[in-house]
Amino acid sequence: MVESRVSGHIRDMTTPALRVADLRKEYPGRSGHGTVVAVDGIDVEIAAGEIVAFLGPNGAGKTTTLDIVLGLVPPTSGTVEVLGVTPRQAVTAGHVSAVLQTGGLLRDLRVDETVRAIAALHGARSRVDEVIRRAGLTELAGRKVGHCSGGEQQRLRFALALLPDPQILVLDEPTAGMDAAARRDFWETMRAETHEGRTVVFATHYLEEAQAFAPRTVLIDHGKVRADRPTDELRNLVGDRVATATVAPGTARAAAEALAAIPGVREVHAHGDRVSATGTGSDAAALALLTTLGGRDLEVSAPSLESAFFALTASGEDAGATADTTKETRR
Amino acid sequence: MNATYLAIDLKRQLRDVMNIAFVVGLPVVMYIVFGSTFGSGDEQQGAANVKFYVMTSMAVYAAAVATTSSAGQAAIELLQGWGRQIGLTPMRPADYVGTKVLVSLVVAAGGVAAVFLAGVCTGARADSWTTWLYTGLIAWLLSAIFALYGLAIAQTFRSESSVGIASAGLVLLAFFGNLFVPLGGTILTIARFTPLYGFAALARWPSLEGKVFDTSGNVFQDELWWLILNWVGWAAIFGLLSVWAVRRGRRRQ
Repeated sequence: MVESRVSGHIRDMTTPALRVADLRKEYPGRSGHGTVVAVDGIDVEIAAGEIVAFLGPNGAGKTTTLDIVLGLVPPTSGTVEVLGVTPRQAVTAGHVSAVLQTGGLLRDLRVDETVRAIAALHGARSRVDEVIRRAGLTELAGRKVGHCSGGEQQRLRFALALLPDPQILVLDEPTAGMDAAARRDFWETMRAETHEGRTVVFATHYLEEAQAFAPRTVLIDHGKVRADRPTDELRNLVGDRVATATVAPGTARAAAEALAAIPGVREVHAHGDRVSATGTGSDAAALALLTTLGGRDLEVSAPSLESAFFALTASGEDAGATADTTKETRR
Repeated sequence: MNATYLAIDLKRQLRDVMNIAFVVGLPVVMYIVFGSTFGSGDEQQGAANVKFYVMTSMAVYAAAVATTSSAGQAAIELLQGWGRQIGLTPMRPADYVGTKVLVSLVVAAGGVAAVFLAGVCTGARADSWTTWLYTGLIAWLLSAIFALYGLAIAQTFRSESSVGIASAGLVLLAFFGNLFVPLGGTILTIARFTPLYGFAALARWPSLEGKVFDTSGNVFQDELWWLILNWVGWAAIFGLLSVWAVRRGRRRQ
């Protein structure tokens, strides 16, 4: 037991926690013809102890990728190594565990029974009390799972994930469906758990969660990695605002040129009489739109996740990212 | 196989009062109804009387219903994503199936015992106590294949109503299994290939040794090897389907 701990530790120094190379996953199309490409060639390497966010919209391929990493579904092609072994081997050894977005709980089982049942399968009976306490379930232990709120059920899933004392913790949209307070509580608990040097990989479509919790963010869309960089850089990019206004008929082109000359304006667009300026200089652009350019119906907005993607991929730094990938490929 | 997991799952099943009443109560009622339709029921048939024959049929049905429904519930567990949770533990699909079979066998034991108790109280009779013992053991233990049946059917239809589909299918199989009305002719020939037939005829072996009576008084003879082959063959088919179904249950729904 002691020896395996030691060798595990040495292995951590040399072996990445997670290595995913050219991962692809195709499902048969719903109509029976063609295939749906859920994961379209993902490459990611995560070192031990890193905290990484997989950020992307629904249907981007995040969950499928994590399912493959956990050995729940086989990939169509590509390599996945978890601490140097196959996903299933890593799961069986208790090295990797997860809070699943759609991971089911048995509604007619009590909270403590659920923890004890899964603990028994891990051979981790001695950790039951500690895990119940750390996940804040002590008060709920005797309650039926079906009577617990969404947030409470999520804490139970989290408790189950802690049972094998995993080196890698995977969280698939762990706060989906939670209110703001429950979300904050959840991440506070998570922060405490990562002090132990765990590798944490979580999927989210909340930019704020990636910013608050992960030093590194992998942007995934249409089954591909769109960007993989420190989250700080991402924040700078999405610090942009968009100022949009309607100008007098026929002056849109001239207005766009004027806006483009303003410092801090990175991009301008004109659609009909509607002109927009994107960048950190959105305040100056807004002022100009309302005064010298004679605009009205001014609107200032933060860019959506989609436009953040666009900003990142259009910056030309991320080779191989193409904008014309379609999700469904008929063959 | 994990004893703690098994105990927790069993406790959970026994808390489901409605299901237990259905599994244990209905076959008893059916025994009392069918058992009283054949005259006094005390006529000798093989090494036991007619009431013993009807009792055996209903015990087989009770055990099959018990294993089918508890295994069908297992399939619903998988549909609700519990299979994904289990997929994050060292438990293998075959262990999960094995655990479910054991849990359903405990429930089936309750069903068989209840029907036998009703039989004892209403005049079912066999020439020897060993006939009672072997009949009970066979009716109970061989019902394990219907756990696999319930799992396979429910997981194939993949909805909450699938337990109902499996139970309804079981009624049809019980008809072909010669449990409700004595079969004869072509139907009997076809019935010999159906999954409840081998099981039921094996449960009657201690009292009838393969003799089959039809409604017009003819007597046919079943070969023991054929009955065993029927049971083993269906066990293999349902078993393979179940393991395949559990693997499928690890995916998202």
